[in-house]
Amino acid sequence: MIHYKKDTDNIATLTLDMAGVSANIINHRIWEAFVPVLDHLKQEKKRGQLRGVILTSAKKTFLSGGALDYLYQARDASEIFESAERLKQFLRDLEHPGVPVVAAINGSAIGVGFEVALACHRRIALRDDRLRLGLPEAEMGLIPGGGGIIRLMWLLGVAKAYEILADGRRYLPHEALQKGIIDDLADSPKEMLLKAKSWLLETSEGRRPWDRPGATIPGGTAHDLVIAQHLREQSARLAAQTHFIYPAQRAILQVLSEGSKVDFNTACRIESRYYTELVLSRECKNMIKAFWFDANFIRTGKNRPRGFGKFRPRQVGIIGAGLMGSGIALSCLRQGMKVVLKDVSKPIADRGREWVTQKINALVENAELQASQAEKMRKNIQTTDDSSAFETCDLVIEAVFENQAVKQKVTREAEQYLDEYALFGTNTISIPITKLAAASIRPAHYVGLHFFHPAEEVPLVEIVRGALTSDETIARAFDFVQAIQKTPIIVKDDWGFFAARVQNTYILEGITLLQEGYPPALIENLGRQAGMPKGALELADDLGLDLVLHYEQQAAEHYGPKYIQHPAVQALTKMLTTLERPGRAKRAGFYQYDSAGQRTLWPELTAHFPSQNIRANDQEVTDRLLFAQVIEAVWCMQEEVIFSIAAANLGSIYGWGFPAAKGGVIQYIRDYGLAKFQHRCNHFQQAYGQRFRAPKLLPKVATEPEASI
Amino acid sequence: MTEAYIFDALRTPWGQTALYEVKPVDLLARVLEGLQRRQPELDLKQVDDLLIGCVTPTGDQGANIAKAALLQAGWPPTTSGMTLNRYEASSLEAISLGAAKIRAGWAELIVAGGIESMSRVPLGSAGGALGFDPGVLHRVDYVPTGISADLLATCTGFTREELDAFALHTYHRAVHAGEQGYFHPSLQPIYDQNGLLILDRDEWRWPAMTADLLQAQSPAFAELGALGFDQMALHHFPAVEQVKHLHTPATMASSADGAALLLLGSQQKGKALGLTPRARIRTATTLSLDPAILLRGAHQAAAVALSMAGMEPTDIDLWECHESYAAIPLHCQRMLQIPADRLNVNGGAIALGAPLGAAGAFLLSTLIDELERRDLNTGLATIAAKGGMGVAMIIERQ
Repeated sequence: MIHYKKDTDNIATLTLDMAGVSANIINHRIWEAFVPVLDHLKQEKKRGQLRGVILTSAKKTFLSGGALDYLYQARDASEIFESAERLKQFLRDLEHPGVPVVAAINGSAIGVGFEVALACHRRIALRDDRLRLGLPEAEMGLIPGGGGIIRLMWLLGVAKAYEILADGRRYLPHEALQKGIIDDLADSPKEMLLKAKSWLLETSEGRRPWDRPGATIPGGTAHDLVIAQHLREQSARLAAQTHFIYPAQRAILQVLSEGSKVDFNTACRIESRYYTELVLSRECKNMIKAFWFDANFIRTGKNRPRGFGKFRPRQVGIIGAGLMGSGIALSCLRQGMKVVLKDVSKPIADRGREWVTQKINALVENAELQASQAEKMRKNIQTTDDSSAFETCDLVIEAVFENQAVKQKVTREAEQYLDEYALFGTNTISIPITKLAAASIRPAHYVGLHFFHPAEEVPLVEIVRGALTSDETIARAFDFVQAIQKTPIIVKDDWGFFAARVQNTYILEGITLLQEGYPPALIENLGRQAGMPKGALELADDLGLDLVLHYEQQAAEHYGPKYIQHPAVQALTKMLTTLERPGRAKRAGFYQYDSAGQRTLWPELTAHFPSQNIRANDQEVTDRLLFAQVIEAVWCMQEEVIFSIAAANLGSIYGWGFPAAKGGVIQYIRDYGLAKFQHRCNHFQQAYGQRFRAPKLLPKVATEPEASI
Repeated sequence: MTEAYIFDALRTPWGQTALYEVKPVDLLARVLEGLQRRQPELDLKQVDDLLIGCVTPTGDQGANIAKAALLQAGWPPTTSGMTLNRYEASSLEAISLGAAKIRAGWAELIVAGGIESMSRVPLGSAGGALGFDPGVLHRVDYVPTGISADLLATCTGFTREELDAFALHTYHRAVHAGEQGYFHPSLQPIYDQNGLLILDRDEWRWPAMTADLLQAQSPAFAELGALGFDQMALHHFPAVEQVKHLHTPATMASSADGAALLLLGSQQKGKALGLTPRARIRTATTLSLDPAILLRGAHQAAAVALSMAGMEPTDIDLWECHESYAAIPLHCQRMLQIPADRLNVNGGAIALGAPLGAAGAFLLSTLIDELERRDLNTGLATIAAKGGMGVAMIIERQ
């Protein structure tokens, strides 16, 4: 488990090598294995036969955490607290042999794995872009529990520690060096060990900074006005950005504020208490559910048609060099694919390449990309106005203007050059795939690939199955989306697919509230405060009111005589026809827009939708805005528009920003409590109409183990 | 019941820069010495207690500056001293507490007031959980008073022009009062240890305020709001589209250095010592509301003090409402329908600044001087304090 080797300079190398597993995972077995090793080190030190220690790994990863299954289940405060305290004690023992310890990080060290590295006096990592280093606990609604916050604070100061912890990024080795969370880089394992050794030979201080008398935290503590003010500003910023929905960042601020004022060990105990609170929190459970269990469900291909080999696209053709096409191009380039970017003329296609180049440059400036990789990416994109350049492509995606005839035309042009295996993907938001595929000469290879704005950032793609799309095409589309590091969700070719259809109910409910006489600012603020990225009316303006109405008309067509008109249709029609305010594109919608594009609510809105000054119950407004989406998502599951709870949850979080703290649109029901949710639906149905009727599938999606749906 | 009387009121000039060189304990000690000079018949051994409001009780003002100043002024050891903090309302609270002790019969002669050297000990330098602890900030969605004042102005529908116009009045009134010597009866010039004069009149932050100068000011809290505090305010008031940043540095109180004291006692004690009562304290009250709308504390407290006294707003001859932000006295005026010529008739903290811990004692000394000058009877002082609190007091001339 731990190989021990000591050289003639009295430097001991500990190599982690867990038996029977591909990666070193930190757990009780490792701690137990460490006990005799640490004892032995202490003895050696006493005998004067130990100068330093190097900690490294025999595996591809340095050390990973992986207690998420346990944390998801954990319900006992004292047990969670004790486990954090035990981990801390272990790390204290590790940094206390009396001689300096170097972590020679030869593989990824994330979460607890990185906490172990932090408990070493010096961290040297391999310069290898497959490595990731960092403390991303916040993304699961968690904080480090091994003293990571406190160590980072002592090493880098309160302000920098907050920035790194709240961001929760997994850094590349050179970024980690820049951020100061590691001390050195090495080009090879051999050089790394040499560097470790030479540092140990010239270092005699065996105490960490916080164990030395009189040592202080760099930059000061929260007793100092500058730091106190900084924490206050960060608190305000966080409140404005997240409206208190995400508890992890709040906890980080509190641990830093309180922990900076007390000694190291007390600070660690404070960290354990907040850690325990977070593990027990619903937000943490919801986020582990979404970003661990649901993400694994998708990643392992549970929704992917079986029996087809892995598709490894190397070259991707993209038609349309606008923002969407260019964003997709960038996503492909970042994963090492070659891209052919086509538009009606070469200069227009070049504009797309120019945009991509600027983005690449910005990534280099941010240290998210190395100059050498950037150079390769710039070479990997070619532009053209000629479809014959697609001959060597494994996949072509069209992202042209939302018009059926135009889309069909570019499809036909491209298809004549594609080989019989190549996929053709269409990026449409509202035209049925089956209709578009009618123009395709190979409809089995034709599939909807619905990217979201901005395509280079949103980690979701809806794969839309047309009537003739083959299973193999779906499987390959799935592989492609995964290859560009996005989450694929397979959806049915109904109006709005999944994301836009469900998101539309949020907008419609907001418009309904306006019609009922709620003040528009209230609707917008409560939507945002519930964790939605935008207010419902704001979103309507951005999409265009005609599109919002169009989706609802498609729903009417779909349900035929069973359709019950949404009360918002009346208001939408009034806005579009009588008031001629179609949205942001015309700089006139629910909002008005100044010359800089800044929006404020249209002052006449309350004249046309008189405010009844209803302030009955903010919670009721908030619930209506969220319930509308949740109920529609359950309908989507019932109508097999989407095929798994996991896909619905992640689709909602990534696709339209449904609050991650709720775990996504289906997890919301479990979080709320099924019985309570049903009761609330009944109340809403009686008070506001049939749209709040709970679908039959509701109890099932809220109670069944996720893997079986 | 024993009644509480005000025998005297005095203060240092309010300093912008001139008093920076004077350490806070001396500022307070000089006013104590001034009281001795003004009341030569006062037997200091008879003074039970010195109650001092101080909002930033740290560093030079730390721990208990009241006791330190008593000793520094050479008062006999028999007078106790205490410092208390109710933010802006600290000295009004200290006076209220003194009056309560006298009315209860547990003290007979008390000196109460406040001190703040905001140049020496800047506001905020004492830290504190309300405002600086991230957990508390988030728990209560706490917004700084400036944002809260802008929120109040937004909700009430005040315009920038109204706030500026109110402030211009204040500047003109304060300048006029200063020129006519209306503050003179209370002013206690500050000398150094050699008897050399340091300051004998209030210093002006804007000696010649004009409408144009007011209009030229930029909003004071736009940046703070953009940091995130605006959004926090909207958590409390989601029906508001956005907080309008209407207050500027010229329509809010500025920092100042100074100390102010009142001599309080029972009628019996006054008679025994030959002190002449100048006013009687009729009622005083302290209350607290939602911290996000903290600035409504002023008119609410005033309303309660009136009802305790069985009085109507029209029964009050002169009003003093602390001008931390222009929206507060304006709001008070609107809610209680106070005639403009009865409210803050000699200006206020917008023009003169306010040593925060002494703000309430200033209102009372101004009120008493002005009631005497105009030969009127009743006065009401009210202050909205951070944290949602409000303190008000009604006095009656004797």
